Amino acid sequence: MGQLSIDSTFRALADPTRRRVIEQLCLRPASMTELARPFDMALPSFSKHLGILEKSGLIRSTKVGRVRTYRLVPSKLESAEHWLTKQRSLWETRLDQLDAHLATMKEEEP
Amino acid sequence: MKFKIDPKLDLVLERHADVSPALVWKAWTKPEHLAKWFAPKPWTTAECEIDLRPGGQLKFVMRSPDGQLFPNVGCYLEVVTNERLVWTDALLPGYRPSPEPFFTATVLLEPDGKGGTNYTAIAMHRDEDGRKKHEAMGFHEGWGQVYTQMIEFIQSTKL
Repeated sequence: MGQLSIDSTFRALADPTRRRVIEQLCLRPASMTELARPFDMALPSFSKHLGILEKSGLIRSTKVGRVRTYRLVPSKLESAEHWLTKQRSLWETRLDQLDAHLATMKEEEP
Repeated sequence: MKFKIDPKLDLVLERHADVSPALVWKAWTKPEHLAKWFAPKPWTTAECEIDLRPGGQLKFVMRSPDGQLFPNVGCYLEVVTNERLVWTDALLPGYRPSPEPFFTATVLLEPDGKGGTNYTAIAMHRDEDGRKKHEAMGFHEGWGQVYTQMIEFIQSTKL
Protein backbone atom coordinates (compact mmCIF):
# COMPACT_ATOMS: atom_id res chain seq x y z
CA MET A 1 0.00 0.00 0.00
CA GLY A 2 1.39 3.41 -0.96
CA GLN A 3 2.07 6.30 1.40
CA LEU A 4 -0.74 8.40 -0.07
CA SER A 5 -3.28 5.68 0.55
CA ILE A 6 -2.13 5.23 4.16
CA ASP A 7 -2.43 8.99 4.66
CA SER A 8 -6.03 9.00 3.47
CA THR A 9 -6.80 6.09 5.80
CA PHE A 10 -5.36 8.04 8.73
CA ARG A 11 -7.26 11.15 7.76
CA ALA A 12 -10.46 9.20 7.39
CA LEU A 13 -10.00 7.65 10.84
CA ALA A 14 -8.96 10.90 12.52
CA ASP A 15 -12.59 11.97 13.02
CA PRO A 16 -14.78 10.63 15.87
CA THR A 17 -17.96 10.48 13.73
CA ARG A 18 -16.18 8.44 11.08
CA ARG A 19 -14.71 6.11 13.71
CA ARG A 20 -18.23 5.49 15.02
CA VAL A 21 -19.39 4.68 11.49
CA ILE A 22 -16.54 2.16 11.10
CA GLU A 23 -17.48 0.71 14.46
CA GLN A 24 -21.10 0.27 13.34
CA LEU A 25 -20.07 -1.24 10.02
CA CYS A 26 -17.87 -3.73 11.89
CA LEU A 27 -21.11 -5.30 13.06
CA ARG A 28 -23.02 -5.37 9.76
CA PRO A 29 -23.55 -3.47 6.49
CA ALA A 30 -26.03 -0.61 6.81
CA SER A 31 -27.83 2.12 4.86
CA MET A 32 -27.07 5.81 5.28
CA THR A 33 -30.25 6.35 7.31
CA GLU A 34 -29.30 3.55 9.70
CA LEU A 35 -25.76 4.86 10.04
CA ALA A 36 -26.89 8.45 10.62
CA ARG A 37 -29.41 7.53 13.33
CA PRO A 38 -27.08 7.82 16.40
CA PHE A 39 -25.82 11.24 15.28
CA ASP A 40 -27.40 14.61 15.73
CA MET A 41 -26.34 15.79 12.31
CA ALA A 42 -28.01 16.88 9.07
CA LEU A 43 -27.93 14.21 6.38
CA PRO A 44 -25.88 16.29 3.90
CA SER A 45 -23.10 16.75 6.52
CA PHE A 46 -23.28 13.10 7.44
CA SER A 47 -23.10 12.11 3.80
CA LYS A 48 -19.83 14.07 3.54
CA HIS A 49 -18.32 11.83 6.24
CA LEU A 50 -19.42 8.75 4.32
CA GLY A 51 -17.89 10.26 1.19
CA ILE A 52 -14.51 10.70 2.90
CA LEU A 53 -14.61 7.13 4.21
CA GLU A 54 -15.55 5.78 0.80
CA LYS A 55 -12.84 7.79 -0.95
CA SER A 56 -10.25 6.42 1.48
CA GLY A 57 -11.32 2.92 0.47
CA LEU A 58 -12.26 1.93 4.03
CA ILE A 59 -15.90 1.43 3.06
CA ARG A 60 -17.75 0.68 -0.17
CA SER A 61 -21.37 1.24 -1.14
CA THR A 62 -23.77 -0.50 -3.50
CA LYS A 63 -27.18 0.71 -4.59
CA VAL A 64 -30.12 -1.64 -4.86
CA GLY A 65 -33.31 0.12 -5.93
CA ARG A 66 -33.41 3.32 -3.90
CA VAL A 67 -31.31 2.09 -1.01
CA ARG A 68 -27.56 2.52 -0.88
CA THR A 69 -25.86 0.05 1.44
CA TYR A 70 -22.46 0.68 2.99
CA ARG A 71 -20.02 -2.05 4.02
CA LEU A 72 -16.44 -2.27 5.28
CA VAL A 73 -13.54 -3.17 3.02
CA PRO A 74 -11.65 -5.62 5.26
CA SER A 75 -8.32 -5.56 3.35
CA LYS A 76 -8.10 -1.83 3.94
CA LEU A 77 -8.57 -2.28 7.66
CA GLU A 78 -5.82 -4.86 7.88
CA SER A 79 -3.26 -2.23 6.97
CA ALA A 80 -4.89 0.18 9.40
CA GLU A 81 -4.36 -2.42 12.08
CA HIS A 82 -0.60 -1.74 12.01
CA TRP A 83 0.81 -0.76 15.42
CA LEU A 84 1.78 2.73 14.29
CA THR A 85 -1.84 3.40 13.37
CA LYS A 86 -2.76 2.55 16.93
CA GLN A 87 -0.14 4.99 18.18
CA ARG A 88 -1.50 7.62 15.83
CA SER A 89 -5.03 7.00 16.94
CA LEU A 90 -3.87 7.32 20.56
CA TRP A 91 -2.20 10.66 19.85
CA GLU A 92 -5.17 11.94 17.81
CA THR A 93 -7.47 11.11 20.71
CA ARG A 94 -5.05 12.74 23.14
CA LEU A 95 -4.75 15.94 21.09
CA ASP A 96 -8.56 16.10 20.62
CA GLN A 97 -8.76 16.03 24.41
CA LEU A 98 -6.08 18.73 24.60
CA ASP A 99 -8.13 20.93 22.23
CA ALA A 100 -11.15 20.55 24.47
CA HIS A 101 -9.07 21.26 27.57
CA LEU A 102 -7.49 24.37 26.01
CA ALA A 103 -10.98 25.73 25.35
CA THR A 104 -11.77 25.29 29.06
CA MET A 105 -8.49 26.96 30.06
CA LYS A 106 -9.23 29.89 27.76
CA GLU A 107 -12.56 30.48 29.47
CA GLU A 108 -10.98 30.36 32.90
CA GLU A 109 -8.04 32.64 32.14
CA PRO A 110 -8.39 34.35 28.77
CA MET B 1 18.37 20.30 16.22
CA LYS B 2 16.62 18.91 13.18
CA PHE B 3 14.56 15.75 13.39
CA LYS B 4 15.04 12.86 11.07
CA ILE B 5 11.63 11.27 10.74
CA ASP B 6 11.36 7.56 10.00
CA PRO B 7 7.84 6.97 8.63
CA LYS B 8 7.89 3.35 9.82
CA LEU B 9 8.55 4.31 13.44
CA ASP B 10 7.58 7.92 13.97
CA LEU B 11 4.50 10.09 14.08
CA VAL B 12 4.18 13.76 13.30
CA LEU B 13 0.95 15.48 14.29
CA GLU B 14 0.36 19.09 13.36
CA ARG B 15 -2.40 21.04 15.02
CA HIS B 16 -3.69 24.55 15.45
CA ALA B 17 -5.08 25.93 18.70
CA ASP B 18 -7.08 29.08 19.13
CA VAL B 19 -5.11 30.09 22.25
CA SER B 20 -1.70 31.62 22.96
CA PRO B 21 1.52 29.54 23.00
CA ALA B 22 1.77 30.34 26.73
CA LEU B 23 -1.54 28.59 27.40
CA VAL B 24 -0.66 25.57 25.24
CA TRP B 25 2.68 25.37 27.07
CA LYS B 26 0.87 25.39 30.40
CA ALA B 27 -1.39 22.53 29.27
CA TRP B 28 1.69 20.42 28.45
CA THR B 29 3.81 21.28 31.49
CA LYS B 30 1.57 21.68 34.55
CA PRO B 31 0.62 18.33 36.11
CA GLU B 32 -2.90 19.50 37.01
CA HIS B 33 -3.49 20.30 33.32
CA LEU B 34 -1.68 17.34 31.74
CA ALA B 35 -3.71 15.04 33.97
CA LYS B 36 -6.90 16.38 32.41
CA TRP B 37 -6.20 15.30 28.84
CA PHE B 38 -3.09 13.13 28.38
CA ALA B 39 -4.70 9.74 29.10
CA PRO B 40 -6.85 8.71 26.11
CA LYS B 41 -10.40 8.01 27.28
CA PRO B 42 -11.63 5.63 28.62
CA TRP B 43 -8.19 5.51 30.31
CA THR B 44 -7.67 7.95 33.15
CA THR B 45 -4.77 9.64 34.92
CA ALA B 46 -3.89 8.04 38.24
CA GLU B 47 -0.81 10.15 38.97
CA CYS B 48 1.19 12.91 37.28
CA GLU B 49 4.44 14.41 38.54
CA ILE B 50 6.54 16.96 36.68
CA ASP B 51 9.97 18.39 37.46
CA LEU B 52 10.29 20.79 34.54
CA ARG B 53 14.01 21.02 33.72
CA PRO B 54 16.43 18.97 31.64
CA GLY B 55 16.99 15.71 33.53
CA GLY B 56 13.88 16.36 35.62
CA GLN B 57 11.25 13.70 35.97
CA LEU B 58 8.02 13.21 34.08
CA LYS B 59 6.00 10.52 35.78
CA PHE B 60 2.62 9.67 34.32
CA VAL B 61 0.57 6.78 35.63
CA MET B 62 -2.46 5.74 33.62
CA ARG B 63 -5.36 3.64 34.83
CA SER B 64 -6.92 1.22 32.34
CA PRO B 65 -10.72 0.86 32.19
CA ASP B 66 -10.43 -2.36 34.22
CA GLY B 67 -8.43 -0.58 36.94
CA GLN B 68 -4.87 -1.68 36.16
CA LEU B 69 -2.11 0.91 36.62
CA PHE B 70 0.50 1.57 33.94
CA PRO B 71 3.34 3.84 35.07
CA ASN B 72 5.47 5.72 32.53
CA VAL B 73 8.59 7.40 33.87
CA GLY B 74 11.07 9.44 31.89
CA CYS B 75 12.92 12.70 31.92
CA TYR B 76 12.91 16.00 30.08
CA LEU B 77 15.70 16.68 27.61
CA GLU B 78 14.89 20.18 26.43
CA VAL B 79 12.71 22.78 28.10
CA VAL B 80 12.39 26.07 26.20
CA THR B 81 9.42 27.93 27.67
CA ASN B 82 6.53 28.47 25.20
CA GLU B 83 8.59 27.01 22.35
CA ARG B 84 9.94 23.52 22.66
CA LEU B 85 9.59 20.56 24.98
CA VAL B 86 11.42 17.26 24.52
CA TRP B 87 11.22 14.24 26.80
CA THR B 88 12.01 10.54 26.63
CA ASP B 89 11.48 7.34 28.53
CA ALA B 90 14.93 6.16 27.35
CA LEU B 91 16.42 8.04 30.31
CA LEU B 92 15.10 8.07 33.83
CA PRO B 93 15.19 11.21 36.00
CA GLY B 94 18.77 12.47 36.38
CA TYR B 95 19.64 10.97 32.96
CA ARG B 96 19.99 7.42 34.32
CA PRO B 97 19.64 4.94 31.42
CA SER B 98 16.27 3.21 31.38
CA PRO B 99 15.95 -0.59 31.09
CA GLU B 100 13.06 -0.35 28.59
CA PRO B 101 13.45 2.62 26.27
CA PHE B 102 10.59 3.10 23.82
CA PHE B 103 10.04 6.67 22.75
CA THR B 104 11.11 10.29 22.57
CA ALA B 105 8.44 12.95 22.27
CA THR B 106 8.80 16.52 21.10
CA VAL B 107 6.33 19.38 21.13
CA LEU B 108 7.06 22.49 19.10
CA LEU B 109 4.96 25.63 19.57
CA GLU B 110 4.77 28.57 17.20
CA PRO B 111 2.58 31.68 17.38
CA ASP B 112 0.32 31.87 14.30
CA GLY B 113 0.53 35.68 14.23
CA LYS B 114 -3.18 36.02 15.07
CA GLY B 115 -3.06 35.19 18.76
CA GLY B 116 -3.28 31.43 18.21
CA THR B 117 -0.70 28.66 18.16
CA ASN B 118 0.48 26.14 15.61
CA TYR B 119 1.92 23.16 17.38
CA THR B 120 3.58 19.97 16.26
CA ALA B 121 3.83 16.80 18.31
CA ILE B 122 6.48 14.31 17.20
CA ALA B 123 6.68 10.83 18.68
CA MET B 124 9.76 8.81 17.74
CA HIS B 125 9.60 5.14 18.62
CA ARG B 126 12.07 2.36 19.08
CA ASP B 127 12.20 -0.60 16.69
CA GLU B 128 9.91 -3.63 16.51
CA ASP B 129 11.21 -5.20 19.76
CA GLY B 130 10.62 -2.03 21.70
CA ARG B 131 7.08 -1.59 20.53
CA LYS B 132 6.22 -5.23 21.26
CA LYS B 133 7.09 -4.61 24.88
CA HIS B 134 5.07 -1.43 24.80
CA GLU B 135 2.05 -3.22 23.36
CA ALA B 136 2.41 -5.92 25.99
CA MET B 137 1.93 -3.15 28.53
CA GLY B 138 -1.54 -2.72 27.12
CA PHE B 139 -0.84 0.73 25.77
CA HIS B 140 -2.37 -0.07 22.40
CA GLU B 141 -5.78 -0.33 24.02
CA GLY B 142 -6.03 3.43 23.54
CA TRP B 143 -8.65 3.03 20.90
CA GLY B 144 -10.65 0.65 23.00
CA GLN B 145 -13.10 -1.76 21.54
CA VAL B 146 -12.97 -0.67 17.93
CA TYR B 147 -9.90 -2.61 16.88
CA THR B 148 -11.04 -5.80 18.51
CA GLN B 149 -14.28 -5.56 16.59
CA MET B 150 -12.46 -4.75 13.37
CA ILE B 151 -10.14 -7.70 13.72
CA GLU B 152 -13.00 -10.04 14.54
CA PHE B 153 -14.85 -8.72 11.54
CA ILE B 154 -11.86 -9.17 9.24
CA GLN B 155 -11.29 -12.70 10.44
CA SER B 156 -14.92 -13.67 10.05
CA THR B 157 -15.22 -12.34 6.50
CA LYS B 158 -11.96 -13.51 4.90
CA LEU B 159 -12.93 -13.81 1.24
